[in-house]
Amino acid sequence: MQGELKPGEKSSREMMMGSDAVAHGVRLCRPQVISAYPITPQTHIIEILSEMVDRGEFPCQFIKVESEMSAIAACLGSVSAGSRSFTATSSQGLAMMHELLHWFSGARMPLVMVNANRALGAPWNIWCDQSDSLSQRDVGWLQIYCETAQEALDTIIQAYWLSERILLPVMVMIDGFILSHTMEPLMVPAAEEVDAFLPPYRPQYFLDTDDPRSFSAAAFPDGFYQLKKNIARTMEDAGDILADGCRQFAERFGRSYEHLEAYRCDDAEIIFCCSGALTGTVRVAVDRLRQDSHPVGLLKLRLFRPFPSRELARLVSGIKRLIVLNRAVSFGVGGTVSQEVRAALYEEDERPAVHDVIISLGGKEVFPEVIEQIAMQAEELSTSETIWI
Amino acid sequence: MQILDIKGKKLPDGLWDFPVSTTTTEINLTGSWKFFRPQLVEKTAPCQVACPLYIDIASYMWELSRRDVAAALARLRRFNPLPAVCGRVCPNFCQQNCNRQDFDQAVQIGFVERFLGDYGLDIPFPAPPALRPERVAVIGSGPAGLACAAFLARQGIRVTIYEKETAPGGLLRYGIPAYRLPREILNREIDNLVNSLPIELCCNREIQLEQLEKILEEYDYVFRAPGLGQSLMPGDFLPQPGIYPGLELLHDIATGGVPAGSSFGVIGGGNVAVDVARSLRRLGKEVQIIYRRTFAEMPAYSDEKKQALEEGVLLCQQQLVTGVVAEDGQLQLILSQVIPDDGSGIKAGEVIDQLKVDGLVVAIGQQAGDDLALNHERLLLGGDLVSGPATVVEAMASGKAAAKTILSRCGLALEDDWEGELPAGEAEVRIVSFADLHLDYCQSQKAISLVEENPTSRQHSFAEVVHSLNDEEAFAEAGRCFNCGICTGCGICWFFCPDLAISLVEGDFGTSVIIDEDHCKGCGLCAASCPRAVIEMKEDV
Repeated sequence: MQGELKPGEKSSREMMMGSDAVAHGVRLCRPQVISAYPITPQTHIIEILSEMVDRGEFPCQFIKVESEMSAIAACLGSVSAGSRSFTATSSQGLAMMHELLHWFSGARMPLVMVNANRALGAPWNIWCDQSDSLSQRDVGWLQIYCETAQEALDTIIQAYWLSERILLPVMVMIDGFILSHTMEPLMVPAAEEVDAFLPPYRPQYFLDTDDPRSFSAAAFPDGFYQLKKNIARTMEDAGDILADGCRQFAERFGRSYEHLEAYRCDDAEIIFCCSGALTGTVRVAVDRLRQDSHPVGLLKLRLFRPFPSRELARLVSGIKRLIVLNRAVSFGVGGTVSQEVRAALYEEDERPAVHDVIISLGGKEVFPEVIEQIAMQAEELSTSETIWI
Repeated sequence: MQILDIKGKKLPDGLWDFPVSTTTTEINLTGSWKFFRPQLVEKTAPCQVACPLYIDIASYMWELSRRDVAAALARLRRFNPLPAVCGRVCPNFCQQNCNRQDFDQAVQIGFVERFLGDYGLDIPFPAPPALRPERVAVIGSGPAGLACAAFLARQGIRVTIYEKETAPGGLLRYGIPAYRLPREILNREIDNLVNSLPIELCCNREIQLEQLEKILEEYDYVFRAPGLGQSLMPGDFLPQPGIYPGLELLHDIATGGVPAGSSFGVIGGGNVAVDVARSLRRLGKEVQIIYRRTFAEMPAYSDEKKQALEEGVLLCQQQLVTGVVAEDGQLQLILSQVIPDDGSGIKAGEVIDQLKVDGLVVAIGQQAGDDLALNHERLLLGGDLVSGPATVVEAMASGKAAAKTILSRCGLALEDDWEGELPAGEAEVRIVSFADLHLDYCQSQKAISLVEENPTSRQHSFAEVVHSLNDEEAFAEAGRCFNCGICTGCGICWFFCPDLAISLVEGDFGTSVIIDEDHCKGCGLCAASCPRAVIEMKEDV
């Protein structure tokens, strides 16, 4: 899978599936503990990692467990003991972890978890949407959505860099099947380069029988409030810290990422906003529309938590329409991302009309033509009602 | 982030950056939440219940697996004073009930016992706490007499054993052939017992009725276990040259005798018949066992039956000897077929064959050699005389029972009296079944394979047939024991306890478990993971 690097080369060009890319990203970060429970479409990731661990490619304890609840609990233990750790899950598995997701951030434990986005039943469905991760938006984790396998690989390295700095866990999303099971050419960084970028995890406090401490024991109301205020403050700073990390990453590896990437938004009147692999589809649609002289652009929402409100307000200032393409819905309100977008723009004097479109759930295919048609019908789109197609 | 300035109590920033503190969570007595309480209740292994001597096998196996041979031997001897003998001749009721046979194969308990017995052949028994004023006479130095003497002497009661033969052992010496119980082993084990405990052995002393009455005057108690030393002979076999009673022939061979002739028939299917047949093979004779039922129905031990065939003993099954005719210094046996038993007993059918032999051995049962009818409240009886033909270990158990009675009359007790000893609060002895065990962390491991002398060399030698285990083999085999029902301090409960409420502590008896009641939430993981069925959950009321 991984080609030979010539001396001095910083990365090798490979052809691999999204799951492989994630596994290689994890391998390069050298976690000391991996604990995970298989679930489609995440299974490949941990299968590949377990084989890497078995081959001794990096020193790591792979803990087999009987549920996602146990997987995340095992990680809580291993991170508490001072070990860089990794887990991955999807859909129902993520839902099962819910309680401990809160605990992880409350305990200020750094962890990187990959979630392969998949619908939640019922009815039973294994295909992509973002209901699983977006319904975990309030658990105190950072959330980053990836467009490509290359981005997934790079994001994992950045996520460890960030998580261990700010002591909050980071969830990295890839689209189930669309990214996890398709191949693309990408660059795999050299291990020494990643080592130079990402220092080993050296926590100030960890489980140590020679220096016993209580972790996350009871906090009385004032202390609890204070601890949560600290998390809020850290979240507030996390965007800038990640931006700094992405700058350093770009300097070393030549690939840059923004929390909110504007694609062909100059002089645009209509801007689509979406995240994940759908961004690629919309890029194609935008290119075609631009060819026909339609003033259309795209905002790729990479960072969902913390939500890049400032960047959004700046980028859509003066724009006529913002069409938010949702792959998750909060029933009774509308698209989950639309709510966030609207809330971010509420205080702005010049804000665009925000159209809330539920573009796909449970793997419903989205073609560029659909996006083009929505753009052509923009004048007719409601601003008060959620739009289903 | 905007911080409002609210008047009143305000916390300084940075006081609690992270939810980590140096205080202990022990003040949170989570144990008060539980409604089930784990309890360590040691139980009884099925092997122990199956053994007539109630040997605490699970415990000595644990000690041996830890290579503490001395402790294992000491424990074994508290239950069985003749382990080198029993480790060879016992049919191992324990092993037949071993829980491990439902997992892979039963532990070779007999061979481990033999290893320990051999280890202790020259190691003296511990001296009794103090010598007692009471004196007991034991008549007969077979397994029952020796056991009774040993259990009494270990408590300081002085014992005199009277034996009519020139050497002690009774059936052990004059009934069981040397290839099953080497004489050197027997001698050393009995010598060690007699020499290290207050036991006096008087051989060549046959006790008749008048002597018995005299002994009863001299001693506080008398235990009499003369055994069943005489073979049963069917009434229609007239005594004639060439016809031998089985037990008497074994006695003769044991003392160096060799019957004349080269071909023998042996009537019977029990252990005596097989012992006779195999002994005669070793003396170079052609031997044919004639048994009225099938090979499978022969009551002799199956290993012995198998080994007999290997050694060239021939078998006429489902045949009866219905006539013996002396002819030219030989015996012509008339063999008849057997009419299947319809409930009224086996009957002879048509004559089907004749067999010419130099000798015919009758081994169809045994009886008492004397008839000393005497009742006395200080005279106790035991061994085969009371039970009928039985195993060595059952005879020893009858000796132990007599010792227990005598001890209790003297105000003493056996050191390990399993019978009647119940765990606190328990209404009955609780035997660990296979289903009670949690063996998820136990790996399959077959029993040690035994090395036997090859059948050809066995035909010319009274050397022991199956080799003993060496140290490593014995430790490994002992390590296969599940130690059903006893806490070995294995630590699996400690590993699984999510509340760190279990501590392993080192004590005089190895590692033991302490449950922190203040913090145990009663989840039951310890009970569900205890391999040995020691921990159980009791409702907390």
